[in-house]
Amino acid sequence: MIPYQYNLRSIWVRRVTAIITVLGVALVTAVLAAALMLAAGVKKSVSVGGQDDVAIIMRAGATGELESGVDESAVGLVLSQPGLAQENGKPIGGGEILVVVALDKLGAMGISNVNMRGYSDQSLKLRPNLKVVEGKLPQPGTDEAMVGRGILGRFKGLTLGDQISVRKNRPLRIVGVFEDGGSGAESEIWADVNTVRAAFGRQGGVSVVRARLASAGGIEAFRAVIEADKRLGLKVKSEPDFLAAQSEGLSKFLTIMGFIVSLFFSLGAIIGATITMHAAVAHRTREIGTLRALGFSRSAILLGFLMEALVMTVTGGAIGLLAALALSTTKISMMNPATWSELVFALAPSPQAFITAGIFSVGMGLLGGFLPAVRASRISPLAALRS
Amino acid sequence: MNLPGLAVRNIYRNPVRLALTVAGVAVALLTFVTLRTAVMSWDEAKNYTLKDRLVTRHKITFVMDLPKNYADDVRDLKGADGKPLIRASTYLNWFGGKDPAHENDFFATIAADHNTFLTVYDEIKIPDDQLKAFNETRNGAVVGDLLAAKFNWKVGDNITLESPIFGARENGEPWAFKIVGLYTTTSKAVDRQTFYFRWDYMNDGVRAEAKDRVGWIASRSVDAAHAAEVTAAIDKRFDDADTQTLTQDEASFFQGFMGMVSSVLAIMSYLSYIILAILGLILANAISMSVRERTNEYASMKAIGFHAKTLASLILTESTLIALAGAIPGVILSYLIVDVALGDFLEYNLANFFPVFRVKIWTYAEAVAAATVIGLFAGIVPALTVARLNVVENLRRVA
Repeated sequence: MIPYQYNLRSIWVRRVTAIITVLGVALVTAVLAAALMLAAGVKKSVSVGGQDDVAIIMRAGATGELESGVDESAVGLVLSQPGLAQENGKPIGGGEILVVVALDKLGAMGISNVNMRGYSDQSLKLRPNLKVVEGKLPQPGTDEAMVGRGILGRFKGLTLGDQISVRKNRPLRIVGVFEDGGSGAESEIWADVNTVRAAFGRQGGVSVVRARLASAGGIEAFRAVIEADKRLGLKVKSEPDFLAAQSEGLSKFLTIMGFIVSLFFSLGAIIGATITMHAAVAHRTREIGTLRALGFSRSAILLGFLMEALVMTVTGGAIGLLAALALSTTKISMMNPATWSELVFALAPSPQAFITAGIFSVGMGLLGGFLPAVRASRISPLAALRS
Repeated sequence: MNLPGLAVRNIYRNPVRLALTVAGVAVALLTFVTLRTAVMSWDEAKNYTLKDRLVTRHKITFVMDLPKNYADDVRDLKGADGKPLIRASTYLNWFGGKDPAHENDFFATIAADHNTFLTVYDEIKIPDDQLKAFNETRNGAVVGDLLAAKFNWKVGDNITLESPIFGARENGEPWAFKIVGLYTTTSKAVDRQTFYFRWDYMNDGVRAEAKDRVGWIASRSVDAAHAAEVTAAIDKRFDDADTQTLTQDEASFFQGFMGMVSSVLAIMSYLSYIILAILGLILANAISMSVRERTNEYASMKAIGFHAKTLASLILTESTLIALAGAIPGVILSYLIVDVALGDFLEYNLANFFPVFRVKIWTYAEAVAAATVIGLFAGIVPALTVARLNVVENLRRVA
């Protein structure tokens, strides 16, 4: 083995081109890591807070709450089935309605869609993390509403004390701001289920029924009962399964796009590394010849130069990761096609992002350094020393 | 030998590095052109929509519908001078149909009033005999020719769809359709992958409370130049009604549904600048390395009387020429990969998003100009270094 100091010092000798190479790799890694952290952020904010013992009952063909509809008569039937947790002799669960409202964006042109959820006191029991952090909880049966922390102030009317119109002459007043442990609910407006039903002409039913099971393991039995009744036309999903499906489309899209773009970008960085290493080898023909004459093997030379390339790209990878991490404090708003609405989330540092970015930067070093390293290892000591 | 000649010779002195740099520049420009074309094609999709085609929907939310009589009110709208404002109007519903045989393939299913539909969407062409069959068949459907080809559907086929929005038909029967026609279009404003069927058939089958409700109203204003005023007039018409409307031109209507695409395109736009930064790094690396190798030569040239300015411009010429040498294969690659291959693929498969996906001449020009300017800038630091070179010290230096 060639002492590592030799390679480190020779990087330092060519520091300008080394820094340029490192920066190129850093840019590529930052883009890839940011894309993966974006996808992880979507997944995290949509699926956080999913509870194994909460079941969501929705229309059989529906992919999301927005598409789903459950008749009022079916709600009672669902809640009367065995297997649900009880409180004071009554099942814990109830209907919720999810709609979309168009609101004017603040700080940007145009209108965008926001989810509004009609909820009951039962809904609060199913979300133990939800708490009002400013203002108060809306009074049931009134035109009061609360808004999730995520979209607070992002749309016209969505500030404490302001109002939004959903029905002629019956504005909803925002009386509270809530947090829910960073979940997707923080991108929603919540109002009384009956108020929302009246405003949206949906008196005949709800979107979905949420209920707490007596035990998480009881979901199969509960599903069998509900799905056996073909007239109901309903299906049962556990909350984590349901939420995972809600983020799948968007996070998969972001991941794939991140990989495609990074692959193209990394070609540039690999070429940059090759140019640098190529020059490093060309300049040191004599040195390499001397090393060979001293008895270092071809493989030691090959390995030494590969290490030199790796040191540069891994340094670049680390800088890129740090840059992507620095981005993780900013909030991003994007439309989730599964809910047709704006989802506000932050980049989430995920192990997958770190590992993939690490693999990418090592890969760029190996690919970029390989040809020059092979060339170095083939230098004949005699010819080199004679030159 | 003149100065540009020397610059050209210098470029060829290290063929391996030249090849690598040219490849790097070409790949970077290919990426740049792809990203820019995606952004510009999306913007351009707007140009294919009609300014005089207006879409009226529920003001608060697209999940709610409008009373059917609103369609008549829109059609009969008159201006202050008593002249009609609207020359054609129709009404449609989003059906959300899914074919159980093609569970994972999305396609749009829309119920449209067969009497008025083609007056508003006059780009849609259906052969006369098929149109006659559509008018005579209550459960008839006309399907875009591209969609039909994708699923191997033919005129006369019977298709059953499921709708999670409406459930089964009121009488418990499935939603059964008969394909009576295939349509093509004369403009890219309408895609060729939609399943249109008769609105009256849908209305028969929905629950009582959903009857005589329409998802949206599409109309054509008499005077395209005054479409904005007509838009306002339609919404004003329903201002005092229980249900208010939001009327937009076709372009704004679609963009409202594709918010995700626009945030993705914003990201692509940022990325196109990052790839230019990477391009700059590749060029800066290559040129600074060449100059470093030839420090001795520059010192000698200075010693025999070449001006600092001459040497600097020699280096700048070299770095710009390298950038251009990469830009040419970059443009050729972009044409083949983005314009020809990707363009054909996207226009066929993602016509809703990209009715046209072709590289603009302007984008090529942008790519070449960016490469040239970046090449010039990449040469500045090495050029300054050489201009300030201390002759004695560098002649003494051992490379």
